Amino acid sequence: MSGEKVAIRGWTRTQSRLGRRAARPVVVFNILSSMMGVGQAWCIASILGYALTDLHATVASHSISLVVPLVGFLLLALLRAGMMALGDTASAKAGIDARRQLRGSVLASILTGGPALLRQSHSGALTNTAVDRVEALDGFFGRWIPASITWIISPLLILLPVCIVQPRSGLVLALCGLSVPFGQALFGIGAAVASRNQFLAMTRLQARFLDRVKGIATIVLAGRTEDETQRLAQAADELRQRTMKVLRVAFLSSASIDCAMVVALILVAVLNGRIALALHPDGSGEQLSHTLTCGLFVLLVIPEFFAPLRALALAYQDRAHAQGAATAILELPVAQQTSTPKEARTVNAHGVTISFDDVSFTWDATRGPALQNITFTVPAQETLILAGTSGSGKSTIMELLLGFIQPDSGKILFNGAPLETIVPDALSKMISWIGQKPVLFAGSLKENILFANPDADDVALMAAVKAAAVDQFLPDLPHGLETYLGEGGFGLSGGQAQRIAIARAYLKNAPVLLLDEPTAHLDPATEKSVFESLQRLALNKTVVLATHSAAVHMFNGRRIDLQNGQIVSRQGAA
Amino acid sequence: MTELHKTSPSVTNGQALLHILKLWGRQAPRLVIGIMLALLALCMALVLMQLSGLRLAGTVLGEVVIATALLRWVGAGRVVLRYAERLFAHDAMFRALADLRVWFFRSLAHGAAAGLGFRRAGDMLSRLVTDIGTLDGLYLRILVPFTCACLTLPILLIQLCKQSIVLGASIGVLFACTAFFLPYLIARSGRQEAEQLTKNLASLRINVLDLVGGLREIRAFGAEGRILARVQAADATLLRGQMRLARKAAFANATAFLSGQIAIFLILLAVSGVWFFKVTPIAGVGVLFLTVAAFESAATLTRAGLQAGAMGASAKRVVEIAQDTRLTSSATPTVEAPEDTHIHVQNLAFRWSVDRPYVFSDLTLDIPAGARVALLGPSGVGKSSLAALMLKAATPEAGTITLGGIPLSDIRTESLRQKMAWLSQATHLFDDTIRANLLLGQPDATEDQLWQALDDAAVANVVKNLPEGLDTWLGEGGIKLSGGQGRRIALARTLLTQAPILILDEPATGLDAQTEQEFLQTLNTVADGRTVILIAHRLTGVERLDRIYRLSNGIATAATA
Repeated sequence: MSGEKVAIRGWTRTQSRLGRRAARPVVVFNILSSMMGVGQAWCIASILGYALTDLHATVASHSISLVVPLVGFLLLALLRAGMMALGDTASAKAGIDARRQLRGSVLASILTGGPALLRQSHSGALTNTAVDRVEALDGFFGRWIPASITWIISPLLILLPVCIVQPRSGLVLALCGLSVPFGQALFGIGAAVASRNQFLAMTRLQARFLDRVKGIATIVLAGRTEDETQRLAQAADELRQRTMKVLRVAFLSSASIDCAMVVALILVAVLNGRIALALHPDGSGEQLSHTLTCGLFVLLVIPEFFAPLRALALAYQDRAHAQGAATAILELPVAQQTSTPKEARTVNAHGVTISFDDVSFTWDATRGPALQNITFTVPAQETLILAGTSGSGKSTIMELLLGFIQPDSGKILFNGAPLETIVPDALSKMISWIGQKPVLFAGSLKENILFANPDADDVALMAAVKAAAVDQFLPDLPHGLETYLGEGGFGLSGGQAQRIAIARAYLKNAPVLLLDEPTAHLDPATEKSVFESLQRLALNKTVVLATHSAAVHMFNGRRIDLQNGQIVSRQGAA
Repeated sequence: MTELHKTSPSVTNGQALLHILKLWGRQAPRLVIGIMLALLALCMALVLMQLSGLRLAGTVLGEVVIATALLRWVGAGRVVLRYAERLFAHDAMFRALADLRVWFFRSLAHGAAAGLGFRRAGDMLSRLVTDIGTLDGLYLRILVPFTCACLTLPILLIQLCKQSIVLGASIGVLFACTAFFLPYLIARSGRQEAEQLTKNLASLRINVLDLVGGLREIRAFGAEGRILARVQAADATLLRGQMRLARKAAFANATAFLSGQIAIFLILLAVSGVWFFKVTPIAGVGVLFLTVAAFESAATLTRAGLQAGAMGASAKRVVEIAQDTRLTSSATPTVEAPEDTHIHVQNLAFRWSVDRPYVFSDLTLDIPAGARVALLGPSGVGKSSLAALMLKAATPEAGTITLGGIPLSDIRTESLRQKMAWLSQATHLFDDTIRANLLLGQPDATEDQLWQALDDAAVANVVKNLPEGLDTWLGEGGIKLSGGQGRRIALARTLLTQAPILILDEPATGLDAQTEQEFLQTLNTVADGRTVILIAHRLTGVERLDRIYRLSNGIATAATA
């Protein structure tokens, strides 16, 4: 647990270091803008000071001496507006750049983790990390990091002229300002915990909703809509309560700053009032005017003094978001951009012999091994049939062959080369895989087929479409090859979806073909025609076919029967 | 579904926002109190600023105009009220959002018996989470500050006009520009961009979901680089849009700031007596501080103006769902499902949408109560469509289906569905425990009943051997079990229901030949007294059946059992 905390802190620190560089322009613009605010305050104070004592001393018009502060005020206002706009833009840019980079690395991590990741986390949670958690970091880079620098510099810079002009007010301001970090530290701890809980509630709500929406038909038809709605209401309400906890702390911390500011305002006003009153009977207009100008200046500068502190308090949630994001991001595997192991090799693509040498694998120690001491060989361009009941370990063998998971013990060899020494790219070039239900991506039918090989030309595409018999159902689709496929492929039957997978495999034309119960959801007539397409596809390829279909006799080759992760019988020279 | 999407009347953003406001009705008292508190806090802020300025300025006349005690009281009041207002308003807002999320899910469920169709789960998630989340700004950043600005304007005008009508008028115009006109302009110019932004975010989410859901395909095809590029392209579009909006926001902020500064400048001119509208300096100081505070609160509206476009778009995306579903249920039937479970289908015609071919052209079949009927045919012939029609998950184009002599269209949908349990091809296993998944079929089932159902579905042994038994977490889509095992859990869930009609769509999928035979034999006995509609592509010979229909070319032909 503490190790995790250290890791989170380390991550936040690294990101802060990276973010600070990008935040530099923001900081500069913000400080400059503060300084101009001070200048403006001085202009206003001098005008008011003049005017007030002017009225009192009834001297003839001082209008001309007022021209300088008036013009100065206007010029500073224009400049300051420019600085603000530049600062805002720079801050947005810092946030955007950081998010682009972070999202890229999160996605790379997810891709590195591969399918095995889905056994640990819900796809909703992973999506949440890549989209919302990263999006929530905008404030961390755009607001928190600049604010964490300006909150010290700006107030100190403002304090300087105040101390010169009126040391006593300067002291008041400094003391009130000092109380702020203490308050912040106090509230900060609470804020971090509350914010982490809030993000957890958010993630839970999202994962729950995504899961329920995917199965919404099941819920509705089971007549459980009301129950599920109530549960969602509970989750939504939990989110509200957690959010309120975060906000309560945030509001308290900004209220503490408001408090410090109001105290400073009142103290300065009262203090200066006393001085002015004391001076008043003397009637020395010059001195009174000076005191008044200084007093007004300090009064006007107080909001400027507290503005960076307030910005820090507002950005405190952003920091907490970063910690929440760190937790989720650190759970992902480290991204490997070019993970070429030593002695990496590719395997001769013409004819691949696959062998398992005493391979064992366990998904979950409490449920026993999924595969025990599996040994077999499939010579190049031959077929191996894996038979066995559901849950006997066929899919595990497929996942091992695909390199999604690594064996606990034993070796998997492709043409004699251990699987782990083969470059992942080379491995995926060697293998075509067709599972039980192909994933169809958001996009047209054509894009979904071209997914296997985006560089394929129209001739190759049409050849694949024909070979996989996709052309048989094309006329039924509203827009032919351009038909948009929705979630899970709306309107496509299982057989049709499977044909798209076959077309993909045709387009890829890899020497190894892995078929994981490709006809599990099909009726015999469709199964027969799918198998026919597969037979053509399997020509001159090394094939591993997992199935318990009766139509398997269409494929001849070696056969092994699995039961509870062990080979119980062999046919042929497997 | 497609048809519905095309014909659904488009809602304007404004209408959508009004709809959302109506949906917040339950929380109206809280929301109103939140606004009241905000107004009080605002008054305190204005008074505090004016007082502290006057306190100092007053000393010039040799008198303390404002008592320190009053100042302190107002100061404390401001801090406390501001805290209370923010807390209360946010709480009220989040209550309203929680209500909205529940409403959204209910609306979605209402029309989703046939699944999501072309709507993508990722998109729905985006609407539930982000779009509804954005709507908090409607109240917190628009309604509350707008009401505050409406109160500030007259206060400002009265205070200023007491000194000089010309000054009051010009600052009033400036304030109105900052608080109302500028935000309006910004909202208009940024609307399209903001709308696009919500769409871009949804598209990024769909792309990421595709990436996560398709990890196997991606790894198997070595498509990491391509998919990553695709997601990053969506990301880049989103970020570019955000940058454009940020520039607009920066410009708007600077403009709002400048107009506030001009107001201050006018007062300074007046105080220094350069301009024709001369104001006494003392009053000038008070008015100056008041103006500063007033413009500060108005500036928040300028920023909100930019978000208004996004909010309108979000509101539209949320309300659209209800619009879609309202069409499917024009008149709510009230008749309860009859006891008699005789099903009769007469001259039924159906297709999923106008641009798709007919699934049934002239279908007639008869299923007596308690009968065991098989519907046979190759995949794609419409067996599942028929099940969807019986459950009113789809509506026929012509012809009727009756249950116990009453047309389905007259029977209350919920009551009809209680009579039927459907194991569909797409039956979903939830990311929950096995127990919770089973209880979905019948919430008050006993432990024995659960095991009996599992046993009937030939999966009891598998569950027994799991270390956590019934409390094993299934994972997303039942990923922790093999495909066939997951299917059998779904089957057990269907068997568990007390519905008198069971519609089993390819129940033996994922079973090997021997288990399939055993299962079908079990089915002969467990479902005694219930109507069983077995949808299959073939028969194994062990089924005990009363009638067999073969479906082909959109019609059913009876075969002998």
